[in-house]
Amino acid sequence: MTEEKTKGVSRRRLFKWVGGASLIAIGGQAFFFLRSCIPNVLYEPMKRIKIGLPNIFPQGHKFLSAFRIFVFKEEKDMHTISCVCTHLGCNVQISEFSQPRKVKHGDVEVEETFEFVCPCHGSRFRADGTHYTGPAPTPLPHYKMEIAQDDGQVVVDKGEEVDKNARLKVEA
Amino acid sequence: MKSGIANRLLWSWRPESPREANDAIVKNMWLHWFPSKVAKRSISFSYSFWLGTISAVLFVILSITGLILMFHYTPSMERAYTSMKDIDFVTSYGWFLRGVHRVAAQLMVVSVFLHMMRVFYTGAYKKSPGCMGNRPSNWIVGILLLMLTLALSYTGYLLPMDQLAYWAMIIGANVAASVPFVGEQIKMALIGGTIIDQNALLRFYVLHCFLLPIFMFLLMAYHMWRIRKDGGLACVDQISLRHGNGVASPVSTKTYSLLGITSGMDIRAQTLSQIEEKDLIPSSPNLVRRIWLVSLGTMVITILLAIYIQFPLEAPADPTMAPNPAKAPWYFLWLQELIADTTFTILGMTVNGAFLGGIVVPSILLALLIVVPYLDRTPTSNCGVWFPRERLTQNIIFTVMVLLVITLICVGAFCRGPSWVFYWPWEQWPVLPVNF
Repeated sequence: MTEEKTKGVSRRRLFKWVGGASLIAIGGQAFFFLRSCIPNVLYEPMKRIKIGLPNIFPQGHKFLSAFRIFVFKEEKDMHTISCVCTHLGCNVQISEFSQPRKVKHGDVEVEETFEFVCPCHGSRFRADGTHYTGPAPTPLPHYKMEIAQDDGQVVVDKGEEVDKNARLKVEA
Repeated sequence: MKSGIANRLLWSWRPESPREANDAIVKNMWLHWFPSKVAKRSISFSYSFWLGTISAVLFVILSITGLILMFHYTPSMERAYTSMKDIDFVTSYGWFLRGVHRVAAQLMVVSVFLHMMRVFYTGAYKKSPGCMGNRPSNWIVGILLLMLTLALSYTGYLLPMDQLAYWAMIIGANVAASVPFVGEQIKMALIGGTIIDQNALLRFYVLHCFLLPIFMFLLMAYHMWRIRKDGGLACVDQISLRHGNGVASPVSTKTYSLLGITSGMDIRAQTLSQIEEKDLIPSSPNLVRRIWLVSLGTMVITILLAIYIQFPLEAPADPTMAPNPAKAPWYFLWLQELIADTTFTILGMTVNGAFLGGIVVPSILLALLIVVPYLDRTPTSNCGVWFPRERLTQNIIFTVMVLLVITLICVGAFCRGPSWVFYWPWEQWPVLPVNF
């Protein structure tokens, strides 16, 4: 009896091995399950989008709700700002001032006629997207704009952020 | 044996003696969950308010109504909202089923929270000399059940795909994304992409209708089993201590255990707390009758509220325009307040309130609740007693925390207007331009 014990694997050790192997197997499968929840391919709208010819945009701003962006046109300069609040992703809205207000952007004082306001948690942004009050941690992003070579439409690349002073020059 | 139609139809046999009453419990499939005898004090309304039982009954109501609603609801981005409208206005008694489901869900949040408060104020999470089991671990299970209740509520109100649902998904996903390093992966795993679409709805549907209820059921079963193994409610410990029998040799509590029925075996359920016969009463009919009463009362209140309170859906989900103000359901308003108020900048680095208020603060509160039984060094002799003087400090701290949460809920509910600006309840909100 004693000889048998020393030769073979004890029951306790066998259970430890089987238990350990089971834990590894369960852990591995849990990892597989969690990893499978993160998609490898996204069937979502393109981030690079054509928004129309430059001349369809009025002077001032236009909200393109389908793309969640504001497009601005000042004479022949165009730029675009995201409407997605950097706090938790709600859509900010434009709040027009009854009187123009003078605000400081760094050392420069400019006159603004509106600001962005987030309805969810009250973040407020200057007209250039800079956050100045509320819980938003960063400014609203500006996206890269260019003119499509094939049909002359304005292209916005929501995957590429640019400096807030970047402008696209258009003919009209 | 009493005569009468009900007795003849429902009972083939009636116990004539306490011994037979015990047998009735042990041999019955449903009743064998209960001990054959219970302490008088543990079934009193003034001690527990039966909040645990009420929560369990509400969960049963939710399971049944939820199952029926699953026949009518379509988890698709295109049809979810219209199927909910059909439930409200087309399906026979659909409004009633949805109302009961909705009322029961909100009542369950209340009852589980009150249950936690009751356990805290009576120090029932402590391991007293009269308790033979491990009450602290059951307190932790209870906290997990509270979390599951909130998770079920959250995933539940996402399913109609109205404005409330859509923006709650956006905010929930972005709170998850605010976790440093792995936030984007968590968000992707949660909503199955970067935007709220079919993947997100399907995931929350599966969580709400299958995964979370299964966890809830298993944990509730464990929670109740642990109460039995811990010797019943904490107030029973006081009876043991009063008789000076705090720790005693194990004695049998049941004449028969399930295994003991097998011939030649005598495995008996045992307890360390010795309670005298005069403090005990048979579970049948005393405990059973009260459980029926509590269940019936819970159902009646739920049904009446479902009839009298309307729960209209908000407008269909509109990804282009969040409602203003966009408010979470009342039981999450304290979190919304925290999220809105906790962004700060230190040494040029901005910490997002989403992370601080949405993840860090709730996690700290959760951790505090979990370690409370191990931090509380007050005498264990007051376990199962309402507001004992020895636990005054603990009770004050806990009350302040609860009041803070309630205050934040009230601020969110009554003092937040458009763009989350603070207004006193009597102040007029500004009229906002409507975008068509």
